[in-house]
Amino acid sequence: MRIKYLSLLACALLSASVIADIAVVVHPSNANAVSADDLNRLFLGRTSSFADGSKATPLNLAEGAAARDEFDSKVLSRSSSQLKAYWSKLVFTGKGTPPKELADDAAVKAAVAADPTAVGYISSSSVDGSVKVVANF
Amino acid sequence: MIKKSLLALSLSALLAAPAYADLTINGFASIKAGMTLDSDDTLYGYDDSLDFKNESLFAVQLMSDLGDKLSVTAQLMGRGADDFDVDFEWAFISYQLTDEVRINAGRLRTPFYKYSDYRDVGYAYDWLRVPQSVYGLGFDNIEGVSLYHTTQLGNFDSSLQLIAGAYDGEASISGTEVNAEIKDILGITWELSQDWYSLRAAYLIGKVSVGAEAVSLQPGVTFGDFFNGLAGAGFSALVNEIDIVEEDGEFFGLGFTVDKNDWLVVAEYTTVKVDNSFIADQKNFYVSLGHRFDTITPYISYEKEDNPAKDEIYTPFQGSLPPSLLLPVVGIVQSQAREATTYNVGLRYDFHPSAAFKVQYSSEDNEIADLRQDVLAFGVDLVF
Repeated sequence: MRIKYLSLLACALLSASVIADIAVVVHPSNANAVSADDLNRLFLGRTSSFADGSKATPLNLAEGAAARDEFDSKVLSRSSSQLKAYWSKLVFTGKGTPPKELADDAAVKAAVAADPTAVGYISSSSVDGSVKVVANF
Repeated sequence: MIKKSLLALSLSALLAAPAYADLTINGFASIKAGMTLDSDDTLYGYDDSLDFKNESLFAVQLMSDLGDKLSVTAQLMGRGADDFDVDFEWAFISYQLTDEVRINAGRLRTPFYKYSDYRDVGYAYDWLRVPQSVYGLGFDNIEGVSLYHTTQLGNFDSSLQLIAGAYDGEASISGTEVNAEIKDILGITWELSQDWYSLRAAYLIGKVSVGAEAVSLQPGVTFGDFFNGLAGAGFSALVNEIDIVEEDGEFFGLGFTVDKNDWLVVAEYTTVKVDNSFIADQKNFYVSLGHRFDTITPYISYEKEDNPAKDEIYTPFQGSLPPSLLLPVVGIVQSQAREATTYNVGLRYDFHPSAAFKVQYSSEDNEIADLRQDVLAFGVDLVF
């Protein structure tokens, strides 16, 4: 009996690490491939278009949201202070504004489902048919 | 009926308003304290009593997106050194011409250095203050127009800035604030950056005028009085070599940064020349090395200033000029000589997502005065 509980616990732990994964999502009509490099450029304000040249609107999760830290460290390879310092350089010199921040996965999903130019990310477990997954991290 | 449509009108006006006046408020602040470590020393505005005002500042930035690629930005800043009197540090309209081209017009920052644009935003860099040997020139703001072009060149992100405008403000000569102007400023800066390093070059020219005439040379005698005396004695050519009236000024700067495996290297080299003036030619540089240990970033840096006096102004006149006139000329020219090295040791601690604590010890060795002065300062930089 004890062993069963243990394996159940192991399953729960494993699935927890799966839940922590993030999915990059776009509108279902968006046919562009989106690489990690593209995401870097989009979320650091260095480009505002997809590979095919169409307009891209990156949508960030608010600080403190689970997938935000994952995205910052896995995709942008920067700590939240480094990112804040990076954006300070642009914001206070009129050279750029950071992506809009949304409160949670549900808000990002709704915004992406409603906007063909949007690109956002959510926890993999939040994915459903309203959005299209273009990358996993 | 009328009431209803009025209501509908005002409602739609209210609803539509946010789309037109999309106002973003950001801000930053620094609270810093410091003091020199010896009773007679003064450096970076500090003396030997702990001062919380000198390098502290508050700023609020309002940005309104007017739609159709047009925005307006105003940055209001109060510096402790100016008694927190609030001033427009930046005030400009911005037009995003294309994805790659943005035009800003209004009050901008003169783009001399790598950190010119955000030197007041301490949170954006690791040092407690930008290296004064290089950043101490003044003339920080410009009224004019600037074009930013950002694009990708192979693996590089390229950012090119063209700027034109004028400076009208103050400069400090021998500790006296005087009127200063730079007209017809034209400048170009170019920065190439890759994943872990960046290179930058800047070149600016302008017509420099500094109202040195009001500065007192000795009790009861101003530079202006002395210039008149020289001209009266038939040496107006020499006056032209000394005074600063619409002289050709030239600034050149090179810089690079490295950020790899949590090692941080920054270096900048600058030269400044103002022709036909007693302002010494300046060659200054600094190099800084830091390492990021998660939330703590210790750093060391070394700065050097090499500003030899323009002896060539008075050497041709050594035979012809009476000593009573020659000596003050030599004094004026030599007063601009400066040879100094400074080293700094400090650290940044990111103790909060929006705030960093910093402490920095600086030791300046003024080789001409044979004087070493030390400053210890600490404080918090934050953004909001």
